Amino acid sequence: MDLGLKGLKAAVSGGSRGIGRSIAGLLAQEGCDISICARGQENIDAAVSAFEGNGVRAMGRAVQGRDGDAVRGWMRDTVDELGGLDILVASLSAGGGTNDERYWYRNFEIDLMSATRAVEEAYPALKKSQNASILIVATMAASETFVAPMAYNAIKAALVTWSKQLAEAYAPKGIRVNCLSPGPTMFPGSNWEMIKVARSRTYNSALRQQPTRRMGEADEIARAAVFLASPAASWCVGSHLLVDGGFTKGVQF
Amino acid sequence: MTVHRIKPGDFTKTPIDKTENPDLGTNMIPKQRYIAPDFMRKEWERMWTKVWLWGCASQDIEEPGDYLVTSIGKEEILLTRQPDGSVRGFYNVCPHRGNRVMVGQGNATTFRCNYHHWEYKLSGEFENLPDIETFPQGAPPCGGLTPVKAEEWNGFVFFSLNPDAGPLRDYLDPLCEHLEPYHFDRMVKVIDWTVEWDCNWKTSVDAFNEAYHVQGIHPELLYFIEDKHIQIDTYERHNRYLIPFSTISHRVNETTEIPHLIKHAMQEAGMDPADFDGRVSEVRVALQKYKREHGPEMGLDYSDLNDEQLTDDYHYMIFPNITMNTHADDLMLFRQRPHETDPDKMYFDVQMFKLLRTDEERPRKPRNERFKHGERSMGLVIDQDAANLPGVQQGMHSAAYEGLWLGDQELRIRHFHKVLMDYVGED
Repeated sequence: MDLGLKGLKAAVSGGSRGIGRSIAGLLAQEGCDISICARGQENIDAAVSAFEGNGVRAMGRAVQGRDGDAVRGWMRDTVDELGGLDILVASLSAGGGTNDERYWYRNFEIDLMSATRAVEEAYPALKKSQNASILIVATMAASETFVAPMAYNAIKAALVTWSKQLAEAYAPKGIRVNCLSPGPTMFPGSNWEMIKVARSRTYNSALRQQPTRRMGEADEIARAAVFLASPAASWCVGSHLLVDGGFTKGVQF
Repeated sequence: MTVHRIKPGDFTKTPIDKTENPDLGTNMIPKQRYIAPDFMRKEWERMWTKVWLWGCASQDIEEPGDYLVTSIGKEEILLTRQPDGSVRGFYNVCPHRGNRVMVGQGNATTFRCNYHHWEYKLSGEFENLPDIETFPQGAPPCGGLTPVKAEEWNGFVFFSLNPDAGPLRDYLDPLCEHLEPYHFDRMVKVIDWTVEWDCNWKTSVDAFNEAYHVQGIHPELLYFIEDKHIQIDTYERHNRYLIPFSTISHRVNETTEIPHLIKHAMQEAGMDPADFDGRVSEVRVALQKYKREHGPEMGLDYSDLNDEQLTDDYHYMIFPNITMNTHADDLMLFRQRPHETDPDKMYFDVQMFKLLRTDEERPRKPRNERFKHGERSMGLVIDQDAANLPGVQQGMHSAAYEGLWLGDQELRIRHFHKVLMDYVGED
């Protein structure tokens, strides 16, 4: 199956590490020019040079996810420098946190608003694309109670709802919007890697609930994400795909 | 990722210079030092009775007449505050029939033996001997309780069974200069535990003299401390290492989420982890700056401490048996005492002290609580050490085990043994 990605231009927020990095890397392998934004310049530099190894153009910007102007600026620069945009993957996240009201603001700004801001800035370019798609990365923890009540889970749920509505509004403009919710994912530097060592009870409890008895790997999430974002998924519009190794117990009708 | 360290020229009162590592060779440390009754006897005669020993906190005997009974090996020592504010120490034994004079801690106007009510002044001299006329030979010529040397430094009382011991400050050299900037006398004691452990006292000393075991039995600390690239310094008797806290180990990958122990350290200082936009590896320096800026308004005087002392663990060992985890806001002091007779047993004293914020109420003075290992938790990290040590002691008795095979990360253990053998002289 040809995903039809060769020669397209893609932007991945939070694309310097973890799931975002895997998605961006796979898109680059498939022949997309790539732009990422993230917090740390070192990781960005390493990622960009890895993407370039596929013979595509790649760029990255160090931004603070709470800084709306910075996120918008990255998106505008991306469109300018890549000369257009076909795919936007919003995967920037602040991660979890409990027992502090500030986490609501943090997840609101970094998980939710960075996505809406990037989409808004990307829209004019996507409208011109023949293969436009937006993929919102949420979390399985939006659909299933998980670990503890916290802003991360609830704000990600807002993204799921928003993506569905966006899909309906943008379909007539030729922009497909889909949503993907990963389950617990393990990769070097993942929060789960830390939790496994530093809070082993939480880790073991999550693993017990996982019928596959292991956590997902970033590439396993990325393959599903890249398909949804690609022209090959032309009839996927407003889908919400759980990629969690069977973690969620609820039945989706 | 590199851990930011202060440099020569930066503000510090505590010396930060790296000492040259002594060449102590690579020989195996014989296991007999940990298990042999004969070595234990030599240790007592040649070391314990010669050195200065930590006795109690000055605040334990704050007022005139306050007293506290501590022990070392077979000896009990009575430490007490005099009306002139000085401290004195005595063997806690009545020269009449050998009974112990006082028990535990409290306040007294005189010390009285329960057996026949022989009574002593706070200065140790006889106060009243009932029916003294029935002793044709008169009172014992010692004149009262037998004194031991006692001196105070930086909020602690030390004693020495050696009548010829030099001044305490000379013994502690150079640690007075190192540790006085912490002002332990401003901290209040919040925990006072004595735990019986099934291991030699040195087995416990060793466990705190290297960070090599962190990746072994304290893996969660890899997300709170730098355990490998640490500065080790050895002095004439004492030694230390400087461990960066509120950072992550080189052994693990940096995460996006701030690990919970680092979050906790931020919250303790009043810094909100949910509002921190930097990376995990940037927290430590940011926390140092935050504490420097906001400490004074909370009543926390850090003015004599350098920046990294605001987050890190300057981990000192006062020979022979004091382990000090010194931090800007607290001190976790461990005292390792030998058992009276059994080289396979020891007493582990935990004394925690805390610098109080202006808005914090002074907690009730803790009384010494005594228990056996396993009867209650002392917190995850000490529990992990405590659970491990009996197995180490047991293994030392194995025919297949000859002694300690030490690496560079364990230099402090080697140095400790060098100083020990300077006293003991021979195995």
